[in-house]
Amino acid sequence: MSVILHKVYVVERDDYANAGMVSSSVKQTLAQIGIDPKILRNIAVACYEAEINMIIHAYGGAVSLDVSDDGIIHLVFKDPGPGIPDLEKAMTPGWSTASEKARAMGFGAGMGLVNIKRVSDTFDIKTSPSGTTLTLTFKASI
Amino acid sequence: MSSVVTYTLSRCVKCMKCVKACPSGALTMENSRINIRHDRCLNCGRCITACHNQGLLAKGSTLDDIKCYDYTVAMIPSALIHDCSSLGEAGELFYAIKMLGFDEVVDITAIEGQLMQEAQLLAESSPESSLISSVCPVINRLIETNYPMLLNSVVPLNYPSEVAAKQIRRRTKDKGNVGIFNFCECEAKLALAKYPYGNKQYEVDHSLAIVDIFPKIKQNMHQGSIPVEFCREGLQSCNPAMMLQKPEYLTADGFDKVNNILGLAEFQLLNQFKLLTLFPCFNGCIGGHLLWGNSYLTKNNIHALTDTSRKKPAEIEFDDLYTADLSKSADDKRSFQEKMEFFSKVNEQLEKLPGYDCSACGMQTCRNMAEEIVRGNKTINDCRIHAAMKEKVKHAGK
Repeated sequence: MSVILHKVYVVERDDYANAGMVSSSVKQTLAQIGIDPKILRNIAVACYEAEINMIIHAYGGAVSLDVSDDGIIHLVFKDPGPGIPDLEKAMTPGWSTASEKARAMGFGAGMGLVNIKRVSDTFDIKTSPSGTTLTLTFKASI
Repeated sequence: MSSVVTYTLSRCVKCMKCVKACPSGALTMENSRINIRHDRCLNCGRCITACHNQGLLAKGSTLDDIKCYDYTVAMIPSALIHDCSSLGEAGELFYAIKMLGFDEVVDITAIEGQLMQEAQLLAESSPESSLISSVCPVINRLIETNYPMLLNSVVPLNYPSEVAAKQIRRRTKDKGNVGIFNFCECEAKLALAKYPYGNKQYEVDHSLAIVDIFPKIKQNMHQGSIPVEFCREGLQSCNPAMMLQKPEYLTADGFDKVNNILGLAEFQLLNQFKLLTLFPCFNGCIGGHLLWGNSYLTKNNIHALTDTSRKKPAEIEFDDLYTADLSKSADDKRSFQEKMEFFSKVNEQLEKLPGYDCSACGMQTCRNMAEEIVRGNKTINDCRIHAAMKEKVKHAGK
Protein backbone atom coordinates (compact mmCIF):
# COMPACT_ATOMS: atom_id res chain seq x y z
CA MET A 1 0.00 0.00 0.00
CA SER A 2 1.40 3.40 -0.91
CA VAL A 3 -0.02 6.89 -0.75
CA ILE A 4 -0.77 8.35 -4.17
CA LEU A 5 -2.34 11.63 -3.15
CA HIS A 6 -1.42 13.70 -0.12
CA LYS A 7 -2.82 17.13 0.72
CA VAL A 8 -2.67 19.23 3.88
CA TYR A 9 -5.05 22.06 4.76
CA VAL A 10 -4.90 24.57 7.60
CA VAL A 11 -7.92 25.50 9.73
CA GLU A 12 -7.87 28.74 11.76
CA ARG A 13 -9.49 29.12 15.17
CA ASP A 14 -12.82 31.03 15.25
CA ASP A 15 -12.61 31.60 11.49
CA TYR A 16 -16.35 31.37 10.92
CA ALA A 17 -16.12 33.29 7.63
CA ASN A 18 -14.20 30.45 6.01
CA ALA A 19 -15.97 27.59 7.78
CA GLY A 20 -16.44 24.76 5.32
CA MET A 21 -13.72 25.85 2.88
CA VAL A 22 -11.49 22.87 3.67
CA SER A 23 -14.38 20.43 3.33
CA SER A 24 -15.35 22.00 0.01
CA SER A 25 -11.82 21.61 -1.22
CA VAL A 26 -11.62 17.97 -0.06
CA LYS A 27 -14.98 17.28 -1.68
CA GLN A 28 -13.91 18.90 -4.95
CA THR A 29 -10.63 16.97 -5.10
CA LEU A 30 -12.36 13.64 -4.46
CA ALA A 31 -15.09 14.47 -7.00
CA GLN A 32 -12.38 15.18 -9.58
CA ILE A 33 -10.98 11.71 -8.99
CA GLY A 34 -14.45 10.34 -9.59
CA ILE A 35 -15.19 8.78 -6.18
CA ASP A 36 -18.66 7.22 -6.00
CA PRO A 37 -21.18 9.94 -4.96
CA LYS A 38 -22.63 7.73 -2.19
CA ILE A 39 -19.23 7.38 -0.51
CA LEU A 40 -18.36 11.00 -1.22
CA ARG A 41 -21.51 12.10 0.58
CA ASN A 42 -20.35 10.39 3.79
CA ILE A 43 -16.87 11.85 3.47
CA ALA A 44 -18.28 15.35 2.93
CA VAL A 45 -20.52 15.13 5.99
CA ALA A 46 -17.77 13.79 8.27
CA CYS A 47 -15.19 16.25 6.99
CA TYR A 48 -17.49 19.23 7.47
CA GLU A 49 -18.43 18.24 11.02
CA ALA A 50 -14.80 17.67 12.00
CA GLU A 51 -13.68 20.94 10.42
CA ILE A 52 -16.34 22.90 12.27
CA ASN A 53 -15.32 21.17 15.52
CA MET A 54 -11.79 22.45 15.02
CA ILE A 55 -13.00 25.99 14.43
CA ILE A 56 -15.40 26.25 17.34
CA HIS A 57 -13.86 23.98 19.99
CA ALA A 58 -10.11 23.81 19.29
CA TYR A 59 -7.37 26.34 18.60
CA GLY A 60 -7.52 25.62 14.86
CA GLY A 61 -5.43 22.82 13.41
CA ALA A 62 -4.53 20.90 10.28
CA VAL A 63 -6.43 18.49 8.07
CA SER A 64 -4.60 15.96 5.96
CA LEU A 65 -6.12 13.99 3.12
CA ASP A 66 -4.39 10.85 1.88
CA VAL A 67 -5.58 8.50 -0.80
CA SER A 68 -3.73 5.21 -1.04
CA ASP A 69 -3.58 2.92 -4.07
CA ASP A 70 -5.72 0.23 -2.42
CA GLY A 71 -8.68 2.63 -2.47
CA ILE A 72 -8.66 3.79 1.13
CA ILE A 73 -9.18 7.48 1.90
CA HIS A 74 -7.63 8.68 5.17
CA LEU A 75 -8.62 11.93 6.80
CA VAL A 76 -6.65 13.11 9.82
CA PHE A 77 -7.74 16.13 11.87
CA LYS A 78 -5.06 17.29 14.25
CA ASP A 79 -5.42 20.22 16.64
CA PRO A 80 -3.14 21.63 19.37
CA GLY A 81 -5.71 21.59 22.17
CA PRO A 82 -7.47 22.08 24.51
CA GLY A 83 -8.65 18.47 24.13
CA ILE A 84 -12.03 16.96 25.00
CA PRO A 85 -12.46 16.73 28.81
CA ASP A 86 -14.99 13.90 28.76
CA LEU A 87 -14.88 11.88 25.57
CA GLU A 88 -17.71 9.59 26.62
CA LYS A 89 -20.03 12.56 27.10
CA ALA A 90 -18.89 14.09 23.79
CA MET A 91 -19.97 10.91 22.04
CA THR A 92 -23.50 11.23 23.48
CA PRO A 93 -26.06 12.58 21.01
CA GLY A 94 -27.15 16.12 21.88
CA TRP A 95 -24.35 16.90 24.33
CA SER A 96 -22.50 20.10 23.42
CA THR A 97 -20.12 22.63 24.93
CA ALA A 98 -20.34 25.07 22.01
CA SER A 99 -20.17 28.78 22.86
CA GLU A 100 -23.13 31.15 22.56
CA LYS A 101 -21.52 32.70 19.47
CA ALA A 102 -21.24 29.30 17.78
CA ARG A 103 -24.81 28.34 18.65
CA ALA A 104 -26.10 31.65 17.36
CA MET A 105 -24.58 30.79 14.00
CA GLY A 106 -26.31 27.43 13.89
CA PHE A 107 -23.39 25.27 15.00
CA GLY A 108 -23.07 23.16 18.11
CA ALA A 109 -26.13 20.91 17.98
CA GLY A 110 -24.24 18.22 19.82
CA MET A 111 -24.37 15.71 16.98
CA GLY A 112 -20.88 16.31 15.52
CA LEU A 113 -18.87 13.32 16.72
CA VAL A 114 -21.90 11.04 16.69
CA ASN A 115 -22.55 11.80 13.04
CA ILE A 116 -18.90 11.45 12.09
CA LYS A 117 -18.76 8.00 13.67
CA ARG A 118 -21.99 6.96 11.94
CA VAL A 119 -20.80 7.76 8.41
CA SER A 120 -17.12 6.70 8.56
CA ASP A 121 -15.75 3.19 8.03
CA THR A 122 -13.19 3.44 10.82
CA PHE A 123 -13.18 6.05 13.55
CA ASP A 124 -10.33 6.71 15.93
CA ILE A 125 -10.01 9.59 18.37
CA LYS A 126 -7.15 10.36 20.73
CA THR A 127 -7.45 13.34 23.03
CA SER A 128 -5.39 15.03 25.73
CA PRO A 129 -5.13 18.67 26.94
CA SER A 130 -2.30 19.16 24.43
CA GLY A 131 -4.44 18.21 21.45
CA THR A 132 -6.91 15.92 19.74
CA THR A 133 -6.26 13.69 16.74
CA LEU A 134 -9.21 12.29 14.85
CA THR A 135 -8.42 9.67 12.22
CA LEU A 136 -11.09 8.52 9.79
CA THR A 137 -10.92 6.11 6.91
CA PHE A 138 -13.32 5.45 4.09
CA LYS A 139 -13.30 2.66 1.51
CA ALA A 140 -13.52 4.24 -1.95
CA SER A 141 -13.44 1.08 -4.04
CA ILE A 142 -15.57 -2.00 -3.56
CA MET B 1 -32.22 15.35 -23.14
CA SER B 2 -30.32 17.13 -25.90
CA SER B 3 -29.36 20.76 -26.21
CA VAL B 4 -31.74 23.30 -27.72
CA VAL B 5 -28.97 25.82 -28.27
CA THR B 6 -28.01 26.55 -31.86
CA TYR B 7 -24.84 28.28 -32.94
CA THR B 8 -24.41 30.80 -35.75
CA LEU B 9 -20.81 30.88 -36.94
CA SER B 10 -21.14 34.19 -38.81
CA ARG B 11 -22.17 35.98 -35.62
CA CYS B 12 -19.40 34.53 -33.46
CA VAL B 13 -16.57 36.90 -32.52
CA LYS B 14 -14.67 34.17 -30.62
CA CYS B 15 -14.73 36.07 -27.34
CA MET B 16 -15.19 32.83 -25.34
CA LYS B 17 -17.79 34.44 -23.07
CA CYS B 18 -20.18 31.54 -23.64
CA VAL B 19 -17.50 28.94 -22.91
CA LYS B 20 -16.75 30.63 -19.59
CA ALA B 21 -20.44 31.07 -18.71
CA CYS B 22 -21.33 27.38 -19.03
CA PRO B 23 -21.87 25.80 -15.58
CA SER B 24 -21.30 22.26 -16.84
CA GLY B 25 -18.42 22.72 -19.28
CA ALA B 26 -20.56 21.73 -22.26
CA LEU B 27 -19.11 24.37 -24.58
CA THR B 28 -15.67 24.23 -26.13
CA MET B 29 -14.08 25.98 -29.06
CA GLU B 30 -12.66 23.68 -31.69
CA ASN B 31 -11.24 24.81 -35.03
CA SER B 32 -12.50 28.37 -34.42
CA ARG B 33 -16.08 27.35 -33.83
CA ILE B 34 -18.14 26.57 -30.75
CA ASN B 35 -18.91 22.93 -30.13
CA ILE B 36 -21.86 22.07 -27.85
CA ARG B 37 -21.70 18.75 -26.04
CA HIS B 38 -25.28 17.54 -25.94
CA ASP B 39 -24.67 15.07 -23.13
CA ARG B 40 -23.46 17.81 -20.79
CA CYS B 41 -25.74 20.72 -21.73
CA LEU B 42 -28.22 21.74 -18.99
CA ASN B 43 -30.27 24.01 -21.30
CA CYS B 44 -29.94 26.74 -18.69
CA GLY B 45 -29.45 29.44 -21.31
CA ARG B 46 -26.50 31.08 -19.57
CA CYS B 47 -24.43 30.93 -22.75
CA ILE B 48 -27.26 32.59 -24.70
CA THR B 49 -27.37 35.46 -22.21
CA ALA B 50 -23.58 35.72 -22.12
CA CYS B 51 -23.31 36.17 -25.89
CA HIS B 52 -23.66 39.85 -26.77
CA ASN B 53 -23.84 39.13 -30.49
CA GLN B 54 -26.82 36.74 -30.65
CA GLY B 55 -24.50 33.99 -31.81
CA LEU B 56 -26.33 31.43 -29.69
CA LEU B 57 -30.09 30.99 -29.77
CA ALA B 58 -32.66 28.54 -28.45
CA LYS B 59 -34.63 27.05 -31.29
CA GLY B 60 -38.05 25.46 -30.87
CA SER B 61 -40.55 24.14 -33.42
CA THR B 62 -42.47 26.48 -35.71
CA LEU B 63 -46.21 26.91 -36.22
CA ASP B 64 -45.90 25.16 -39.59
CA ASP B 65 -45.71 21.88 -37.69
CA ILE B 66 -49.44 22.20 -36.89
CA LYS B 67 -50.21 21.07 -40.44
CA CYS B 68 -48.74 17.61 -39.77
CA TYR B 69 -51.60 16.65 -37.41
CA ASP B 70 -55.34 15.97 -37.60
CA TYR B 71 -56.00 17.47 -34.18
CA THR B 72 -53.77 19.90 -32.31
CA VAL B 73 -53.69 20.88 -28.65
CA ALA B 74 -51.80 23.89 -27.24
CA MET B 75 -50.71 23.68 -23.59
CA ILE B 76 -50.31 26.95 -21.70
CA PRO B 77 -48.22 26.83 -18.51
CA SER B 78 -48.82 29.26 -15.66
CA ALA B 79 -45.72 31.35 -16.42
CA LEU B 80 -47.34 32.56 -19.63
CA ILE B 81 -50.52 33.62 -17.87
CA HIS B 82 -48.61 35.99 -15.61
CA ASP B 83 -48.52 38.54 -18.37
CA CYS B 84 -52.29 38.92 -18.01
CA SER B 85 -53.63 41.09 -15.21
CA SER B 86 -57.20 39.72 -15.27
CA LEU B 87 -59.14 36.62 -16.27
CA GLY B 88 -60.64 38.58 -19.18
CA GLU B 89 -57.21 39.38 -20.54
CA ALA B 90 -56.17 35.75 -20.11
CA GLY B 91 -59.28 34.71 -22.04
CA GLU B 92 -58.20 36.97 -24.89
CA LEU B 93 -54.72 35.46 -24.84
CA PHE B 94 -56.18 31.95 -25.04
CA TYR B 95 -58.42 33.02 -27.93
CA ALA B 96 -55.47 34.59 -29.77
CA ILE B 97 -53.46 31.37 -29.36
CA LYS B 98 -56.40 29.28 -30.59
CA MET B 99 -56.62 31.48 -33.70
CA LEU B 100 -53.07 30.41 -34.62
CA GLY B 101 -54.66 27.17 -35.80
CA PHE B 102 -55.09 24.99 -32.71
CA ASP B 103 -58.18 22.89 -32.10
CA GLU B 104 -57.90 23.19 -28.35
CA VAL B 105 -56.07 25.43 -25.89
CA VAL B 106 -55.67 24.03 -22.38
CA ASP B 107 -54.18 25.55 -19.27
CA ILE B 108 -52.18 23.16 -17.11
CA THR B 109 -52.30 25.15 -13.86
CA ALA B 110 -54.37 22.47 -12.13
CA ILE B 111 -51.70 19.87 -12.84
CA GLU B 112 -48.90 22.22 -11.79
CA GLY B 113 -50.82 22.83 -8.58
CA GLN B 114 -51.27 19.14 -7.88
CA LEU B 115 -47.59 18.40 -8.54
CA MET B 116 -46.55 21.14 -6.12
CA GLN B 117 -48.85 19.75 -3.41
CA GLU B 118 -47.71 16.17 -4.03
CA ALA B 119 -44.07 17.26 -3.74
CA GLN B 120 -44.85 18.90 -0.40
CA LEU B 121 -46.68 15.79 0.83
CA LEU B 122 -43.82 13.53 -0.22
CA ALA B 123 -41.30 15.80 1.45
CA GLU B 124 -43.23 15.95 4.71
CA SER B 125 -43.50 12.18 4.92
CA SER B 126 -39.86 11.63 4.00
CA PRO B 127 -38.00 10.41 7.10
CA GLU B 128 -34.63 12.13 6.91
CA SER B 129 -32.80 14.59 4.70
CA SER B 130 -34.52 17.24 2.61
CA LEU B 131 -36.03 16.57 -0.81
CA ILE B 132 -35.47 18.77 -3.86
CA SER B 133 -38.39 19.74 -6.08
CA SER B 134 -38.09 18.30 -9.58
CA VAL B 135 -40.10 20.97 -11.35
CA CYS B 136 -37.18 22.68 -13.10
CA PRO B 137 -35.28 20.59 -15.69
CA VAL B 138 -32.16 22.74 -15.24
CA ILE B 139 -31.95 21.92 -11.53
CA ASN B 140 -32.36 18.20 -12.22
CA ARG B 141 -29.61 18.27 -14.83
CA LEU B 142 -27.38 20.45 -12.65
CA ILE B 143 -27.64 17.90 -9.83
CA GLU B 144 -26.86 15.11 -12.28
CA THR B 145 -23.68 16.77 -13.57
CA ASN B 146 -22.39 18.85 -10.64
CA TYR B 147 -24.01 17.50 -7.45
CA PRO B 148 -24.41 13.73 -8.00
CA MET B 149 -24.52 13.17 -4.21
CA LEU B 150 -27.99 14.71 -4.18
CA LEU B 151 -29.49 12.55 -6.94
CA ASN B 152 -31.49 10.49 -4.47
CA SER B 153 -33.01 13.63 -2.97
CA VAL B 154 -34.83 14.69 -6.13
CA VAL B 155 -38.61 14.30 -5.80
CA PRO B 156 -39.60 11.47 -8.19
CA LEU B 157 -42.38 13.46 -9.86
CA ASN B 158 -42.61 14.12 -13.59
CA TYR B 159 -42.76 17.53 -15.27
CA PRO B 160 -46.21 19.20 -15.43
CA SER B 161 -46.05 19.33 -19.25
CA GLU B 162 -45.46 15.58 -19.42
CA VAL B 163 -48.23 14.69 -16.98
CA ALA B 164 -50.63 16.99 -18.85
CA ALA B 165 -49.64 15.62 -22.26
CA LYS B 166 -50.31 12.06 -21.06
CA GLN B 167 -53.79 13.06 -19.92
CA ILE B 168 -54.53 14.86 -23.18
CA ARG B 169 -53.28 11.90 -25.21
CA ARG B 170 -55.70 9.61 -23.35
CA ARG B 171 -58.63 12.00 -23.70
CA THR B 172 -58.13 12.51 -27.46
CA LYS B 173 -57.57 8.85 -28.40
CA ASP B 174 -60.28 8.89 -31.08
CA LYS B 175 -59.23 12.18 -32.69
CA GLY B 176 -56.72 10.60 -35.12
CA ASN B 177 -53.19 11.93 -35.29
CA VAL B 178 -52.98 14.26 -32.29
CA GLY B 179 -50.21 16.84 -31.99
CA ILE B 180 -49.46 18.26 -28.54
CA PHE B 181 -47.70 21.63 -28.52
CA ASN B 182 -46.22 23.11 -25.38
CA PHE B 183 -45.69 26.86 -25.13
CA CYS B 184 -42.43 27.43 -23.30
CA GLU B 185 -41.09 30.26 -21.19
CA CYS B 186 -37.49 29.03 -21.06
CA GLU B 187 -34.89 27.01 -22.94
CA ALA B 188 -35.01 24.10 -20.53
CA LYS B 189 -38.71 23.46 -21.09
CA LEU B 190 -38.18 23.68 -24.86
CA ALA B 191 -36.00 20.62 -24.58
CA LEU B 192 -38.86 18.54 -23.11
CA ALA B 193 -40.35 17.60 -26.48
CA LYS B 194 -39.98 14.89 -29.12
CA TYR B 195 -39.28 17.17 -32.07
CA PRO B 196 -37.05 18.59 -33.41
CA TYR B 197 -34.54 17.24 -30.89
CA GLY B 198 -35.32 13.55 -31.27
CA ASN B 199 -36.20 12.94 -27.60
CA LYS B 200 -38.32 9.81 -27.99
CA GLN B 201 -39.14 9.53 -24.27
CA TYR B 202 -41.39 12.59 -24.10
CA GLU B 203 -45.16 12.79 -24.61
CA VAL B 204 -45.12 16.40 -25.82
CA ASP B 205 -44.65 16.49 -29.61
CA HIS B 206 -43.46 20.03 -30.17
CA SER B 207 -42.38 22.89 -28.00
CA LEU B 208 -42.73 26.47 -29.13
CA ALA B 209 -40.58 29.33 -27.90
CA ILE B 210 -43.16 31.90 -26.85
CA VAL B 211 -40.92 34.77 -27.90
CA ASP B 212 -41.00 33.59 -31.54
CA ILE B 213 -44.79 33.25 -31.61
CA PHE B 214 -45.60 36.43 -29.71
CA PRO B 215 -45.84 38.82 -32.73
CA LYS B 216 -48.48 36.54 -34.24
CA ILE B 217 -50.38 36.24 -30.95
CA LYS B 218 -50.41 40.02 -30.66
CA GLN B 219 -52.12 40.36 -34.03
CA ASN B 220 -54.97 38.15 -32.80
CA MET B 221 -55.38 39.88 -29.44
CA HIS B 222 -58.60 41.77 -28.57
CA GLN B 223 -60.64 39.93 -31.20
CA GLY B 224 -62.42 37.45 -29.02
CA SER B 225 -62.29 35.61 -25.76
CA ILE B 226 -62.58 32.11 -24.32
CA PRO B 227 -63.87 31.66 -20.75
CA VAL B 228 -60.92 30.55 -18.62
CA GLU B 229 -60.43 29.47 -15.04
CA PHE B 230 -57.13 28.84 -13.30
CA CYS B 231 -55.88 26.97 -10.29
CA ARG B 232 -54.41 29.21 -7.64
CA GLU B 233 -51.80 26.65 -6.48
CA GLY B 234 -50.63 26.20 -10.07
CA LEU B 235 -50.17 29.93 -10.59
CA GLN B 236 -48.25 30.14 -7.35
CA SER B 237 -45.97 27.21 -8.15
CA CYS B 238 -43.87 29.17 -10.62
CA ASN B 239 -42.81 32.04 -8.40
CA PRO B 240 -40.75 31.54 -5.22
CA ALA B 241 -42.30 34.52 -3.44
CA MET B 242 -45.85 33.31 -4.01
CA MET B 243 -45.37 29.67 -3.02
CA LEU B 244 -46.76 28.33 0.22
CA GLN B 245 -44.38 29.66 2.88
CA LYS B 246 -43.64 27.37 5.78
CA PRO B 247 -40.58 27.31 8.03
CA GLU B 248 -39.67 23.86 6.71
CA TYR B 249 -39.78 24.84 3.02
CA LEU B 250 -36.88 26.63 1.42
CA THR B 251 -37.24 28.47 -1.87
CA ALA B 252 -34.51 30.25 -3.78
CA ASP B 253 -34.08 31.85 -7.18
CA GLY B 254 -31.04 32.89 -9.21
CA PHE B 255 -28.29 30.62 -10.47
CA ASP B 256 -25.59 31.54 -7.95
CA LYS B 257 -27.93 31.19 -4.99
CA VAL B 258 -29.10 27.81 -6.22
CA ASN B 259 -25.50 26.60 -6.53
CA ASN B 260 -24.79 27.86 -3.04
CA ILE B 261 -27.77 25.97 -1.62
CA LEU B 262 -26.97 22.73 -3.44
CA GLY B 263 -23.42 22.98 -2.07
CA LEU B 264 -24.77 23.28 1.48
CA ALA B 265 -27.21 20.43 0.89
CA GLU B 266 -24.30 18.18 -0.07
CA PHE B 267 -22.89 18.65 3.43
CA GLN B 268 -26.37 17.81 4.80
CA LEU B 269 -26.58 21.23 6.38
CA LEU B 270 -30.13 21.89 5.25
CA ASN B 271 -31.74 18.87 6.85
CA GLN B 272 -34.04 21.09 8.88
CA PHE B 273 -35.81 21.91 5.62
CA LYS B 274 -38.15 19.30 4.24
CA LEU B 275 -38.39 20.62 0.70
CA LEU B 276 -36.03 22.74 -1.36
CA THR B 277 -37.68 24.44 -4.32
CA LEU B 278 -34.99 25.97 -6.49
CA PHE B 279 -35.32 28.20 -9.55
CA PRO B 280 -32.24 29.09 -11.58
CA CYS B 281 -34.10 32.07 -13.10
CA PHE B 282 -34.77 35.19 -11.03
CA ASN B 283 -38.39 35.26 -9.86
CA GLY B 284 -38.81 31.63 -10.89
CA CYS B 285 -40.48 30.57 -14.11
CA ILE B 286 -41.96 34.00 -14.79
CA GLY B 287 -38.34 35.13 -15.21
CA GLY B 288 -37.84 32.65 -18.07
CA HIS B 289 -35.60 33.93 -20.85
CA LEU B 290 -38.18 33.43 -23.58
CA LEU B 291 -40.85 35.63 -21.98
CA TRP B 292 -41.22 39.21 -23.14
CA GLY B 293 -42.44 40.80 -19.89
CA ASN B 294 -40.23 41.98 -17.04
CA SER B 295 -40.70 39.47 -14.24
CA TYR B 296 -40.55 42.16 -11.55
CA LEU B 297 -43.60 43.80 -13.13
CA THR B 298 -45.54 40.67 -14.09
CA LYS B 299 -45.14 39.40 -10.52
CA ASN B 300 -47.91 41.78 -9.48
CA ASN B 301 -50.35 40.13 -11.86
CA ILE B 302 -50.28 36.94 -9.79
CA HIS B 303 -52.04 38.70 -6.91
CA ALA B 304 -54.87 39.81 -9.18
CA LEU B 305 -55.17 36.38 -10.80
CA THR B 306 -54.94 34.26 -7.67
CA ASP B 307 -57.79 36.20 -6.09
CA THR B 308 -60.09 35.17 -8.91
CA SER B 309 -58.77 31.64 -9.47
CA ARG B 310 -61.12 28.98 -8.14
CA LYS B 311 -60.16 25.81 -9.99
CA LYS B 312 -59.11 22.97 -7.68
CA PRO B 313 -55.76 21.23 -8.19
CA ALA B 314 -56.08 18.15 -10.43
CA GLU B 315 -56.62 14.72 -8.90
CA ILE B 316 -54.51 12.52 -11.11
CA GLU B 317 -53.44 9.12 -9.82
CA PHE B 318 -49.93 8.92 -8.39
CA ASP B 319 -48.72 6.42 -11.00
CA ASP B 320 -49.24 9.03 -13.70
CA LEU B 321 -47.22 11.61 -11.82
CA TYR B 322 -44.36 9.37 -10.82
CA THR B 323 -41.12 9.00 -12.76
CA ALA B 324 -37.90 7.22 -11.89
CA ASP B 325 -35.90 8.80 -14.69
CA LEU B 326 -34.85 11.91 -12.81
CA SER B 327 -32.51 10.23 -10.36
CA LYS B 328 -30.42 8.29 -12.84
CA SER B 329 -26.72 9.00 -12.70
CA ALA B 330 -24.17 8.52 -15.40
CA ASP B 331 -22.36 5.36 -14.30
CA ASP B 332 -18.61 5.64 -14.10
CA LYS B 333 -17.45 2.16 -15.08
CA ARG B 334 -13.76 2.79 -14.46
CA SER B 335 -12.06 0.97 -11.58
CA PHE B 336 -10.54 2.92 -8.71
CA GLN B 337 -7.04 2.29 -10.07
CA GLU B 338 -7.99 3.66 -13.51
CA LYS B 339 -9.58 6.72 -11.93
CA MET B 340 -6.50 7.42 -9.82
CA GLU B 341 -4.17 6.92 -12.77
CA PHE B 342 -6.13 9.40 -14.88
CA PHE B 343 -6.31 11.89 -11.99
CA SER B 344 -2.54 11.72 -11.42
CA LYS B 345 -1.81 12.21 -15.11
CA VAL B 346 -4.17 15.20 -15.27
CA ASN B 347 -2.47 16.77 -12.26
CA GLU B 348 0.92 16.23 -13.90
CA GLN B 349 -0.23 18.13 -17.01
CA LEU B 350 -1.96 20.76 -14.91
CA GLU B 351 1.36 21.73 -13.33
CA LYS B 352 2.74 22.63 -16.77
CA LEU B 353 -0.23 24.86 -17.60
CA PRO B 354 -0.37 28.51 -16.43
CA GLY B 355 -3.59 28.13 -14.39
CA TYR B 356 -5.17 31.38 -15.58
CA ASP B 357 -8.30 29.59 -16.88
CA CYS B 358 -8.23 32.09 -19.77
CA SER B 359 -10.10 29.76 -22.18
CA ALA B 360 -7.89 30.89 -25.08
CA CYS B 361 -7.20 27.24 -25.95
CA GLY B 362 -10.93 26.64 -26.37
CA MET B 363 -11.44 24.77 -23.09
CA GLN B 364 -13.17 26.32 -20.10
CA THR B 365 -10.44 25.78 -17.52
CA CYS B 366 -6.84 24.63 -17.39
CA ARG B 367 -8.07 21.42 -15.73
CA ASN B 368 -10.34 20.69 -18.72
CA MET B 369 -7.35 21.33 -20.98
CA ALA B 370 -5.16 18.97 -18.93
CA GLU B 371 -7.85 16.28 -19.21
CA GLU B 372 -7.95 16.71 -22.99
CA ILE B 373 -4.15 16.47 -23.17
CA VAL B 374 -4.24 13.20 -21.21
CA ARG B 375 -7.00 11.89 -23.50
CA GLY B 376 -4.74 12.74 -26.45
CA ASN B 377 -7.09 15.28 -28.07
CA LYS B 378 -4.81 18.27 -27.46
CA THR B 379 -1.13 18.92 -26.89
CA ILE B 380 0.55 21.30 -24.48
CA ASN B 381 1.42 23.54 -27.47
CA ASP B 382 -2.30 24.28 -27.95
CA CYS B 383 -2.05 26.42 -24.82
CA ARG B 384 -1.55 29.97 -26.12
CA ILE B 385 0.36 31.14 -23.07
CA HIS B 386 2.63 28.13 -23.08
CA ALA B 387 3.36 28.72 -26.78
CA ALA B 388 4.04 32.44 -26.22
CA MET B 389 6.44 31.70 -23.37
CA LYS B 390 8.27 29.20 -25.54
CA GLU B 391 8.58 31.79 -28.31
CA LYS B 392 9.97 34.32 -25.84
CA VAL B 393 12.59 31.89 -24.60
CA LYS B 394 13.57 31.14 -28.22
CA HIS B 395 14.06 34.84 -29.01
CA ALA B 396 15.99 35.39 -25.80
CA GLY B 397 18.30 32.57 -26.85
CA LYS B 398 19.11 34.34 -30.13
